[in-house]
Amino acid sequence: MSVIAVEGLSKTFRTRVRGEGLGSSLRALVRPEYRAVPAVRDVSFSVEEGEVVAFLGPNGAGKSTTIKMLTGILTPSSGRARVLGLDPCKDRTRLAMGIGTVFGQKSQLWFHLPPSDSFRLLGAIYEVPPADLARRRADLVERFGIGAYMDVPVRKLSLGERIRCEIAASLLHAPRVLFLDEPTIGLDVVVKREIRALLGELRSRDGVTIFLTSHDIGDIEKICKRAIIIHHGAVVVDESMKTLKHRALARKYIGVKYARPVNLDLPGLPPVKKTEDAGSFVVDTRKHNLQDVIRALVNLGEVLDLTVEDEPLEDIIAEVFGGRTEAEARRAARAGGGLES
Amino acid sequence: MSRRPDPADGGTPGSPGTLASALRKYATAALVSLRSRLAYPTAFAGSLLTFGLFVFVFSRIWSAVYSTQAEISGYDRAGMIWYFIVAEISIFGFSRFYSSLSEDLKGGQVAYLLARPYGFTAYHFSQAMGPALGDSLVLAGEGVLLGLLLGGPFPVTSALQGAALVLSLLLAACLQFFLQFAIAMTAFWIEENAAIFWIYQKLALILGTFLPLEFLPPGAAAAARWTPFPYLSWAPARMAVAWNFGDGLKILAAQAAWAAAAALLCRAVFAAGRGKITANGG
Repeated sequence: MSVIAVEGLSKTFRTRVRGEGLGSSLRALVRPEYRAVPAVRDVSFSVEEGEVVAFLGPNGAGKSTTIKMLTGILTPSSGRARVLGLDPCKDRTRLAMGIGTVFGQKSQLWFHLPPSDSFRLLGAIYEVPPADLARRRADLVERFGIGAYMDVPVRKLSLGERIRCEIAASLLHAPRVLFLDEPTIGLDVVVKREIRALLGELRSRDGVTIFLTSHDIGDIEKICKRAIIIHHGAVVVDESMKTLKHRALARKYIGVKYARPVNLDLPGLPPVKKTEDAGSFVVDTRKHNLQDVIRALVNLGEVLDLTVEDEPLEDIIAEVFGGRTEAEARRAARAGGGLES
Repeated sequence: MSRRPDPADGGTPGSPGTLASALRKYATAALVSLRSRLAYPTAFAGSLLTFGLFVFVFSRIWSAVYSTQAEISGYDRAGMIWYFIVAEISIFGFSRFYSSLSEDLKGGQVAYLLARPYGFTAYHFSQAMGPALGDSLVLAGEGVLLGLLLGGPFPVTSALQGAALVLSLLLAACLQFFLQFAIAMTAFWIEENAAIFWIYQKLALILGTFLPLEFLPPGAAAAARWTPFPYLSWAPARMAVAWNFGDGLKILAAQAAWAAAAALLCRAVFAAGRGKITANGG
């Protein structure tokens, strides 16, 4: 069953144009000029119950705008969105009862009060009966390991402690869909790992559908089963992480070090980096036979070390993000890191 | 019981529930907000000091004015000092709604607050009232002390008058909130609305705070009564120093009518502006 269904969703902001100089300011008083800025263009996708979807894109791609339309915060300019069977814009209050939101850069906890106060308030806001709230709170406190912070003012918590409290707070009303916008931003590797484990558990134990935006490839690789990449306001990739990773397999990174200086020029395969006795190659296995390349490298001289690695997922995504237009981004996505672009 | 969504239920989420759960929601918002205000008790010191200074300075001014006459437009010296104290409790206690709402709106926080199952205006109302009532209670304590020291005997002499005064202060608080909310929400159309609030503040001070309406020329006083401004401070101050049942009832009715009209206005302004929310970032 689709818990999120989006068809042809678009959002165009109307921004006031402010020219340079006093004359322009005076003209703007009489005749203000506006420019239409399309933030999201004709986006369509659906998310099934229990899926964990990474919603990716470079800064300004339209990720947050899409999430805000899906949570009823922004009104779409055109298109249709249904979340848990509801129109987010028309049924905002009703929908809010069934979804949780965490915006990594906007806290929902009261800054000067301990999290326990915010939990009490959120319990009341979501109309969780007091007995259920106590039970649910105890469970989340234990799972998120936040017992020690519950009576410490939020301003005195570290970022990692706060984010753990934020996510736990967003789950108090047992939402079926959790929207996470950059939940691990600014966290150290240990806390990130903990948060990822908790999110993974949420999906497997509670069946919560997770819709996650992040710039952290680790988040995406570790938690998500599917990636939707949005760029210039349009969806350029929508496929399983398995497929996305499979593209990475098409390109291998080879590093080789020799005992003595060698001539590293292989026909049709120039090294991307070389010194007298070492070099690195990027091999597109759709063009070159990997075994032949390795054999050729071994035949060049006495090998001290040789490594073969998959292309990092980050590089593929960076290639897509780097597209200056939607078409370029799509091409980069299709080509698997831009090999055929 | 409220109709909460069951996580195991595959259907659509339920609507927010009963009146009892709504009351619990808004009461908790008010209490948590008050608790946040109380997190720094020293934060009260600034308003206590300013309020005390204002009352002291104006008590000296009024003492000088009344040194040559016993009564002006029905107010004696003690009555005038008590009038000023009550009017200032209302103005000091309930004047901060605009700034926090305006910050929320300009900082984009409003957009995030929308993703919650509550009435936006009602939630802000309760969240603002918690600390405002706390503030005004503290100011009232100081005001009574200063009034006894600088003015004269406590002017409230019956339970009915006391109840009318409290009710009038509460209605003034509601009216202040709704008008300031409406002004803050104009930021949906005009990015900088501080000038509107500045004019609002000045009209509130002139029309009933610094001077009772009775001190104004008759035409100006009559015209002022057709605006909401006298009902922000003049109305409660009048309850304290010139109470009579008939007039009190009329003033309370007018205050209630203005508060209701302002509530409708702020709902309309928010409904009209809501579609203009642009939340950038990410």
